[in-house]
Amino acid sequence: MKYETVIGLEVHVELATKSKIFCSCSAHSFGADPNDHVCPACCGMPGMLPVVNKRVVDFGMKAGMMLNCDINRVTTFDKKSYYYPDLPAAYQTTQWFAPVAVNGLVEIETSKGKKGIRIKQIHMEEDAGKLVHDIREDTTHVDFNRTSVPLIEIVSQPDLSSAEEVEAYLERLKSLLRYAKVAECEMAHGTMRCDVNLSVRPEGSDKLGVRAEMKNMNSIEAIKRAIDYEVARHIDAIENGTEELRQETRRWDDIKGKSYAMRTKETAGDYRYFPDPNVMPVVIDDEWFDSIKASLPEFPEVKKAKYMELGLSEYDATRLSESIAIAECFEDALSVCGNAKEAANWVISEVTRVLNAKGMSYEMLTLDGKVLGKLINLVLESKVSRANAKKILDAMFEDPELDPIKYAEENDLVMSNDTGLVDKVIAEVIAGDAKAVADFKGGKDKALMALFGKCMKQLKGNVDPATLRTMLIDAINKL
Amino acid sequence: MDREILRRLELLNQLKLTEAEKEDVLSFFAAREAEHKVLEAIDTANTERMVHVMPIDTVVREDVVVKMFEREDLQAQAPETDEGYWCVPKVME
Ligand SMILES: [Zn+2]
Repeated sequence: MKYETVIGLEVHVELATKSKIFCSCSAHSFGADPNDHVCPACCGMPGMLPVVNKRVVDFGMKAGMMLNCDINRVTTFDKKSYYYPDLPAAYQTTQWFAPVAVNGLVEIETSKGKKGIRIKQIHMEEDAGKLVHDIREDTTHVDFNRTSVPLIEIVSQPDLSSAEEVEAYLERLKSLLRYAKVAECEMAHGTMRCDVNLSVRPEGSDKLGVRAEMKNMNSIEAIKRAIDYEVARHIDAIENGTEELRQETRRWDDIKGKSYAMRTKETAGDYRYFPDPNVMPVVIDDEWFDSIKASLPEFPEVKKAKYMELGLSEYDATRLSESIAIAECFEDALSVCGNAKEAANWVISEVTRVLNAKGMSYEMLTLDGKVLGKLINLVLESKVSRANAKKILDAMFEDPELDPIKYAEENDLVMSNDTGLVDKVIAEVIAGDAKAVADFKGGKDKALMALFGKCMKQLKGNVDPATLRTMLIDAINKL
Repeated sequence: MDREILRRLELLNQLKLTEAEKEDVLSFFAAREAEHKVLEAIDTANTERMVHVMPIDTVVREDVVVKMFEREDLQAQAPETDEGYWCVPKVME
C-alpha cells in the first residue's frame, strides 16, 4: 500500500524588538547575568499590570501581511494556564480568540514544483523563562530574562507532505520575515523554533491518521531526520503492528536518531484559555494599518525580476535579492553610481568578501550603499585604482562615517594622471634591473611581471594597471 | 462541576485540597452554575460580542528599554536564591 504524510507546523519566532512584550525590560539577554532583565511584571508578581509594546503589534501585522493573512482589526490577548517553574505567573499571555492575523498563504517551491501552504493563524505571545538543572543536585535554577520576550507563533494548516516541503516552507518563512526586518529567524540562536505535527495515512484516504507532535526542534537538518524517522515508524506500526500509535508528544534525540514518547497531549480545555482582563484589546485603525502596509518591502522575487531587467544575470540577481541588507546596499550604490553591473560586482564579490572575512552574516551589514556608490564612481572616473578601492572598502567597514574621497586623498591613494611621473618610475626600474629586461626581451614573459610589480609598488598602486603595462612594454621596446 | 473535574483541576494546578475545601469549592460552583442558567435564558441573538469588560482599548507603549528594578530587590523575599537565580525544587524536563 502507498502512504501519504500529513504535516502541520507551529513555528515560534522571536521578534526583533528592543524591549519585552508587556514591560520595558530589555528583550536581549545574550551575555547578561541571570535575572538581570526582569521586573515585577515579567517575573509574575501579584498586582503588576502588563502594557503592550506597540512595535510587537507592528511586527505581528507585518508578518501577517508578508504571509498574505487577513489582519484582525480588533485583536485580543488571553491567558493560557499551565503550571511550571519557567512560567512565573502560572499562565502565559497569548492570543486564542482573536489572533492578530488569520487565513494566510505561503508559496513554496520544491523539486515537484510550486505549492501553496495555508496559514491558519499568527498570534503574538510571551516567551517562557529558562530552567537550569545542572548547577546543583537538589534544586532547579530559574532565570526569567527570557520571560515575556515577544514571540509570534505561525500555525500552518496540515498542508505539508514531506521533509523537503518542510525545509522549503521554513526557508520561505525565514526569508520573508527577515525581508520585513521583524525577526532574525536563526534556529541555531533559538530565535526560530519549530513544533512538527505529523501523521500518516493510506494514499487517497480522507481520514487523518494518529498524530504525533515533536516539540522545540531547532535545526532544519534535525527536523528532516525526525520526519523521516517518524514516517517510517508510523508505516511500520500500521503495516506490521509493531506498536499501537497514540496521539502524543514526542522528543527527538538527534544524536541517537530516535524519538521518544513524552506525555499524552493536553487538550485545549486543559489550558483553560480565557480573555486576559489586564490587557486591553488592541484596535488597529485605518491609519495604523495603512502605515504598516506602506512599510512592507518588495518580495525577494520581485526584486530579482527587477534586477534582471537592469541587465544582470539570473545568478547575480539571485545573489543580490537573497538578503534584504544586500539588496538595499546594492540599490543604494546603484542610485549613486548608475552602473548596475559595477554595483552588482562590488556588492557580490567585494562586500561579501569582507563580510565573510569578518564572519558576519549578510543581515549584519551596516555599510551605507550610497557611500559604496561614491567609491565605485572614483573607480569609474579613474581617480582610484581597483586595488586601492578595495583597501578603501576595508576601511569603510571599520569606520561607517568614512568619506572615500577624503580617505583616498589623505592616504595617498589617488591615481596619478601625471604620465611624466610614471615614465620616470619606469625608467628607474628598467635601469635598475638589466637582467629582467634582457629576460623579457629573450621571451620570458614572467620577467615583465617582476618589473611591473616594482613600478606598481613605487607608484603606490595609483596607476591604471593596463596603462602601466602598455607604457612599460613600450619603454622596453624602445631600448 | 463534579468530583472528576475537580480532581483534574487539582492536578493541573498542583494543589491538594482537603475534603472540607473540596465541599466548599463544589458548593461554590454549584451556586455559580445556577446563576449561569439565569443568564443563559437571555436572548443574545442580536447582541454584539463583548470583547473586553473595560471600555478602553489600545493601551500601548513605545518600544523603549527602561530598567526600573534591581535584581536584589526583586529577590529580597525569595525563599532561596543562588548566583542570581531563583531556586525551586528539582524538576524533570
Ligand atoms: Zn520586565
